[in-house]
Amino acid sequence: MKKKLLAALLSVSMVIGLAACGSSGSSAGTGSAPASSGDESGASANEAAAEIDTSEHVVINYLTTGDPPEAGTEKEANLNEMLGELNKILTEKCNAEIQIYYIPWTDYLSNYNLTLARMDGSVDLIGTASDWLDAWPNAKNGAFLELSEDMLKTYAPKTWESVPADHWELCKYNGEIYLMPEDNFAQWTNHGWIYRLDWAKEAGLENGVHSWEDMSKYVLWVKENKKDLKYVWDSDGTEYAQMSNGWIASHTDFVAIDGICSGALWGGTKSDLYKVTTPVMTETESLVEYAKLMKEWSQAGIWPTDVLNNTSGSNRDEFRVGQVGVEQHHTQTWTDLCSATAQNTIYKDDPKAETGFFYFGEETKNVVALSITHGAMAVSAGSANPERALMVYDLIRNDKDCYMLFNYGIEGKSWELDENGLRKTPDSYNPDTENINGMTNYWWGRNDDLEVKDATRNWDAIDKLYAEYDKIKIDYPYGQFVPEVDSIQAKIDNCNEQYTNYMKQISYGIYNGSAEDIVAEMQAALKSAGIDDVTAELQKQFDELYK
Amino acid sequence: MSKNKKTSSEGIKKRGILETIWRYRVLELMCLPAVLFFFMFSYMPMPGIYVAFVKYNYRKGIFGSKFIGLDNFKFLAESGKLFDLTKNTILYNLAFIILGNFLAILVAILLNEMRSKMFKKVSQTLMFLPYFISQVLVGLLVYSLLNYDTGFINEILVALGKAKWQPYSNPSVWPVIIVLIHLWQQTGYNSVVYFAAICGIDAEIIEAAKVDGANAFQRIRYIILPSLKPTIVILLLFALGGIVRGNFGLFWNVIGSNSVLYPTTDIIETFVYRATMSDFNFSTASAVGFYQSLVGFVIVMLANLAVKKIDPDYSLF
Repeated sequence: MKKKLLAALLSVSMVIGLAACGSSGSSAGTGSAPASSGDESGASANEAAAEIDTSEHVVINYLTTGDPPEAGTEKEANLNEMLGELNKILTEKCNAEIQIYYIPWTDYLSNYNLTLARMDGSVDLIGTASDWLDAWPNAKNGAFLELSEDMLKTYAPKTWESVPADHWELCKYNGEIYLMPEDNFAQWTNHGWIYRLDWAKEAGLENGVHSWEDMSKYVLWVKENKKDLKYVWDSDGTEYAQMSNGWIASHTDFVAIDGICSGALWGGTKSDLYKVTTPVMTETESLVEYAKLMKEWSQAGIWPTDVLNNTSGSNRDEFRVGQVGVEQHHTQTWTDLCSATAQNTIYKDDPKAETGFFYFGEETKNVVALSITHGAMAVSAGSANPERALMVYDLIRNDKDCYMLFNYGIEGKSWELDENGLRKTPDSYNPDTENINGMTNYWWGRNDDLEVKDATRNWDAIDKLYAEYDKIKIDYPYGQFVPEVDSIQAKIDNCNEQYTNYMKQISYGIYNGSAEDIVAEMQAALKSAGIDDVTAELQKQFDELYK
Repeated sequence: MSKNKKTSSEGIKKRGILETIWRYRVLELMCLPAVLFFFMFSYMPMPGIYVAFVKYNYRKGIFGSKFIGLDNFKFLAESGKLFDLTKNTILYNLAFIILGNFLAILVAILLNEMRSKMFKKVSQTLMFLPYFISQVLVGLLVYSLLNYDTGFINEILVALGKAKWQPYSNPSVWPVIIVLIHLWQQTGYNSVVYFAAICGIDAEIIEAAKVDGANAFQRIRYIILPSLKPTIVILLLFALGGIVRGNFGLFWNVIGSNSVLYPTTDIIETFVYRATMSDFNFSTASAVGFYQSLVGFVIVMLANLAVKKIDPDYSLF
């Protein structure tokens, strides 16, 4: 009997052993460092207002998403040269230096979250975002340090002063500040279709594309008339959500709530901001029309037939060199693609080439300005030197020399001023190795007071669009809303999963059966996944906050 | 040792446990690495399973986080897919186990019957190679073979004047494709165990059979296969323990995010990965792992019980 029991236990251990491999990673890195660092910082912040102890030289690790330059290349050498210069200044001013910790783009979100969960002090400053990088879930999970007013005033005084009180309010959860927002930088990240304006004119769209109907005419014309393209759009199957969000924005006055899940399922409307709606359930007719249109595009061969398994495309780079006719991304990307930079060879090859932008929501004038926490900096709760991390951030964000080095590189090497005071690249500049901005990926505290306009950008077109936006935009209305989702998380995950699976098929027009059927099927699946319960819960929390 | 020989069995009992430990010190030393391994990687992390029952907070750690009972398991139940996912996972694994073992035994026997040493080595190596190809590459290979626009197979079909084949929008063909890929990758590796077992069969028995006039098929039927039976049963029992664990690498890289194919290709692992990516939840993931472990445990126990009923010699315990 004993032997039997032993054997049974052994086999349990064997089976569980496999499971434990997964969880052991999470258990290993937890528990030790963070508690102490929190206490220290609180104590020292109170007493150290006058004199800050920087006697010990420390290295601050700055976490950002992006691919690191390959080791041993000229690109890496250029980055290190810039960091060398920057670290001289940082050492002099706060006896610290900065190192970059990259989260490569492949599976960036899971690697990002995993790195934050380690909490072993390997990162100090964390670039984050409430809409695309899980800032709030991580704050709730305890990954970020609470930044007290004293701490900010003492160690990041310039940042503290430059961010207005109502913006700090938007960075709070449970009354504590977790994020330092990028709130003084003009950019638009609303999505849309980037297309070849010169081809649209050839296709008979004299004023360019301004609606989905125009867009349809454009892509079908390009398919017919530009035979030597690789594809009209070499999509990789990940754009389904932006496409469907775009369709909804262009046909309703829906305003999505950021950061609940990857799909924009819940939100309000411009006419009634604080009533939670789910257009995917209510806009049936419009969605059917969308499904039909996408099937038409799909059957015309606008994108690869097996688009969902196409992982080898790099559409944006193909757009730069004229191999495709469409790119789906946001305004900020368009400002790059519409400019005759060294990378965008279409303008050199074809003097007539022009790149237009049809932004989602143009028909209904439904454009929401960027949330200020689209880019923000947080301090890791596992950081051993949170005070110094704040000091380094304050310098990089507000000190002119540091800002220029970190964002543009060494003056005279990576950039220089032209006669109009705009930023241009020196003749010796090599975009592949000297683009410091593309290596530091500093999207968490850019500052228009210090920005120098890029001379290569097509400012005529860009300023015109920005002016148009400014006329119709509304501010993101839900900045203060950080939903408590513990009780409904499982339902949200399941809804998002269903939505994603169906939207991929609908947005790429690869569903079997009729458009009516697939939309009805999706709605039924969402219903059984509990979408109504989530809506009700969100409405309840909305009412508590806004009424 | 010679001292102990003289002592009676009663004497051994009196000497107690320490004496026994000392007596078998060499055997114990040989066991030690395995014991250490299982202790470190299977027993030490075991308390961590508690994470499946808490609302995990990075700063508070596993045992400091709030206990929430079975809430983490709710997600799997609420998805309404638990049955389909478990069914897919188990059916795929059954196909892998049954066909995989059958093919591995066949290959091992064929290899054993080969006379040319050179040919034997070359073919064994060639069959072994796919095992070392990363699943990511396998996914790309399959896509390059099968995709509609530029795939190898479709290029051939077009060249032959036939209509193109569109597997990536047709869920029903994938069980076959996936099982084929799995067999291609694993058979060479799996056959090694059986090949070793065949080499371990006493050559005298086979010689004797030859002298008695048994032909190759009779030798296989009456000597080799019966001798392989214990190996087969043990390997099957081990495999059954993992029957609710899918081969994530294979499915994720070959099917990826193609939701059209999910009805026939979605397994527990891929579903959980997709659904929990959005809220990065260790606790939910551990809950799923725990569920799989439990089902695996029950299945191993039942299978072992069944084996024991049929022939106690072959059971694990």
